[in-house]
Amino acid sequence: MLSENEIKIIDFLKKKENKSAYSTELSSVIPETAVFSLAYLLKDKGYVSVKEEEKENIILTKEGEERLKEGLPEDNLINFLKGESKKIQEVAKTFKDFNIALSWARKKGLIKVDKGEIIPLKSSYVSPEYVVLKKISSSQDLSEDDKKYLKELESRGLIEIKKNKVLLLTLLKEPEIRPAITYLTPELLRNKEWTKYELKEYNVEALPPFIPLGKKHYFKEFLEHVKDVMVSLGFKEVKSDFVEMEFYNFDMLFQAQDHPAREIHDSFKVDGKGELLNQSLVKRVKEVHEKLWKYSWKQEVAKSLVLRSQTTATTARVLSTSPNKEIKVFTIGKVFRPDAIDATHLIEFHQLDGLVIEENFNFRELLSTLRAIFSGIGIKEVKFKPAYFPFTEPSVEVYGYIQGLGWVEMAGAGLLRPEVTEPAGVTMPAGAWGLGLDRLAMLFLGIKDIRNLYSDDIEYLRNRKVEY
Amino acid sequence: MVNIVLKESRLLNLLGLEEKDLNDVLFNLKSEVEKRGEDELEIEINSDRLDMLSPEGIKRAVDGILGRKLGEAKYEVVPTNYQLIIDDVESRPYALAAVVYDIKLDEDRIKEIIQFQEKLHCTIGRKRKKVAIGIHDLDKIDGKVIRYSKVPLDYKFVPLNSDKEMSVSEVISSTEQGKLYGNISIKDNYSPAILQEDGQVLSIPPIINSNKTKIDSSTKNLFIDVTGTNFDAVAQTLDLLVSNFAEGGSKIGTVKVSRYTSSSPLMIHNKLVVKTSDINKRLGLSLSTEEIAKYVRMMRMDANINSDEIEVIVPQYRIDIMTYVDIAEDVAMAYGYKSFSLPEYTSKGMGELLPITKLERAFRDLAIGGGFQEIFTFVLNKSSYLLYNDFVKIQNPITVEYDAVRNSLIWNMLKFLAKNQHARFPIKVFEVGDVVVKSEESDTGYKNDTRACLAIMNSKISYEELQSVVHQILYNLKGKEPRYLRQDKDYFIKGRSAKILFDNNVIGEIGEISPEVLEKFNIENPVVIAEIYLEKLCE
Repeated sequence: MLSENEIKIIDFLKKKENKSAYSTELSSVIPETAVFSLAYLLKDKGYVSVKEEEKENIILTKEGEERLKEGLPEDNLINFLKGESKKIQEVAKTFKDFNIALSWARKKGLIKVDKGEIIPLKSSYVSPEYVVLKKISSSQDLSEDDKKYLKELESRGLIEIKKNKVLLLTLLKEPEIRPAITYLTPELLRNKEWTKYELKEYNVEALPPFIPLGKKHYFKEFLEHVKDVMVSLGFKEVKSDFVEMEFYNFDMLFQAQDHPAREIHDSFKVDGKGELLNQSLVKRVKEVHEKLWKYSWKQEVAKSLVLRSQTTATTARVLSTSPNKEIKVFTIGKVFRPDAIDATHLIEFHQLDGLVIEENFNFRELLSTLRAIFSGIGIKEVKFKPAYFPFTEPSVEVYGYIQGLGWVEMAGAGLLRPEVTEPAGVTMPAGAWGLGLDRLAMLFLGIKDIRNLYSDDIEYLRNRKVEY
Repeated sequence: MVNIVLKESRLLNLLGLEEKDLNDVLFNLKSEVEKRGEDELEIEINSDRLDMLSPEGIKRAVDGILGRKLGEAKYEVVPTNYQLIIDDVESRPYALAAVVYDIKLDEDRIKEIIQFQEKLHCTIGRKRKKVAIGIHDLDKIDGKVIRYSKVPLDYKFVPLNSDKEMSVSEVISSTEQGKLYGNISIKDNYSPAILQEDGQVLSIPPIINSNKTKIDSSTKNLFIDVTGTNFDAVAQTLDLLVSNFAEGGSKIGTVKVSRYTSSSPLMIHNKLVVKTSDINKRLGLSLSTEEIAKYVRMMRMDANINSDEIEVIVPQYRIDIMTYVDIAEDVAMAYGYKSFSLPEYTSKGMGELLPITKLERAFRDLAIGGGFQEIFTFVLNKSSYLLYNDFVKIQNPITVEYDAVRNSLIWNMLKFLAKNQHARFPIKVFEVGDVVVKSEESDTGYKNDTRACLAIMNSKISYEELQSVVHQILYNLKGKEPRYLRQDKDYFIKGRSAKILFDNNVIGEIGEISPEVLEKFNIENPVVIAEIYLEKLCE
């Protein structure tokens, strides 16, 4: 294969008489600096012969340029005299470069000097040197006759002669030119026809056109990863619905009906009432609320519908089925809370809730479980702070250590109060926790604005580096 | 969580702590400290520890956990000749009162007291609905007989921080407190009132006190009234108030009460008997009975050992202690959460994902194989976008942009595409997620439905371009080919949409979105969408 520049050289040579050209001539088609290496490449490939020559390079001196413009002084003298004799003194006064003109005119036999007078022998004159000077300036070829004058011109300081190395390239053979095609086809391959064609070259260094790539969503992947962590720790996945009765969102969790979290500002209300099918559970929940919170519990309030404000509602749903065997379950899902929407707050976000019911479960086991979960997610250092939740006692807040941020509050947990488990008919100890996942995902995914977890900008999704 | 703001130098002096130790000590008492101003701290108090909403309460707890003072903090209570006569006030039936002697006030202390009062109003008081507090300069009250009664709305008095006599109605309409709390306890044009025997107003609960008994830095003795709709809450609030004043060095005086009880404050003490084994079982520790008793005392409660049982006397200021599990937590706190040595986690059984989660994962992999970018959108949406009728509308939305729960992923998809018309085409996206639909089988009347949605938007699109991908995904999930049945729906172009079926079950739909709907979403490029009902595929 020949490169574009090599083909240019061959094309140039083809057009020349006797298929030869000097490297200097090639500068009209390719950069002069590239000529030498390309010439030898072509020689190696057998397309050209290369002869190195010394070539004279003649250029006009500054004086030469001037003379070319004004004419040689001797010529000017002859033309000045217009065939008439004149006194030397007279001419010398007005004529530029008089001495040079006089000397060369005499030497060339154009004038005679007699008794103080110049006698022209010609009425007009152009020196052959001037013609040569003109040819040099316009890079015309010089005849052998012309060359006789070079020495004189050089000695007069009108030209400079330098010797340069040049290459003479002579085309030996022309490359075989085949019709060019863009696509190779099964037919061409099958018939061996492809040998007849040249496959067009591509600009392989150009950037490609865009194609959309199928890609998983980074935040979904994070949530799925957390699910895998929970499964690896022996937890079974459960889920429940977004629309929930206050009974499961609050009452079963021993949250009094006048608890501030149940106010209109803290949960999204939905029209309609649910149906509480397990009335004996309802009765026991009522009793325990009235006994310990000392107020009159209302079933109508418990039936009110909300968008669940915590996935602990799912835990309550599990409890309401009175599981009487040891279980370990988790759920990951959306919860909804009224809030101002900004870079750190949304009105819907994800929580991970877990529930362990085991014969010998206790607070120490709970802390150990929490440590294992956080370790699985990637937070190796945790510390525990006493906390308060209406449905757990003892309660704990889990802080995780994040490089560059320090201790960050991550989860709330505790042993479920007997007031929560007993009405559900659960007799074994139970531990539960809730963990906000959006903030955690932001930390792990390097996202500063929480809204970017749910970006509606396809280019952001396309351009985001994949986590692995 | 409740936040209080205190003067740092004053608090450190009171607690006898260095700045560097404060955070650690309070951390173990469920609290967190943040520096605010030059000499100001913001302290986060957990909502069960209302006793810690004043500096004296914090001091009492800190003294215990540091082992400086153990057991119940006992305060001197003396009888007085003050008397509270309680009339029938239906809208707010309960009232109690107490006297506090020898109080030392300055500007800072008055600020702390007002803050304590306000935080109690917000928490146990449920924004004054359940409980309201009036704190008065005792020496500015004429006579020993105070009456809790009701007054008509044209009854006049000079409200706090005013010099003008106003009627109750005027107070409600023209003062800040009146506007906030004015209507809580008005019934049949009467308002509750704490009155002197001569009829002068001391306070109009839950709105405002009278200016007559305003406390200032010269105040030496206090009269406190607490009113409310719940007797226990009223009694507890008064107990908390007087206990914290007493912790600050004051003496509590009882007021004779004409109803429910003979005098107040009640200083309610509860007795709880806890078993050593129960505490240890709950905590996973093996503490001796003596150790548990010591930890109980560190939490400022009295503990009497009786072989392997402990009788805990819960003082009036620990209103959060209800049963033995609350004692267990206090023992754990005194023991120190960081002192628990944690066993290595061991898993007894196998974990498992729900079948729908496994299906979701398989679906996502296949959609990605089809070259579709996964998107993740909000569950909440704009009700005017939800073109089906049956969707969950939120009664109290934050913004109209999110006032409903999506009942199909199609609307979220269209909203997403509308935002991306200037991105590089083609746009091929999908989402897997839950929508909420009506359901007769659900006890709430609604249920989540997990769906998947795929869409292509381009300057030119064809039905087949999406159908071929959907077909391959479904074929790979079920190992058999789905069928397509022509349907006409107003959000698809007529003749360009189909139901997708396996056997005779509709498991989704596919079609080219109609120009009317594209216009509604301000989309200027053709769109083809498919929605797959994953839960139906899971069956």
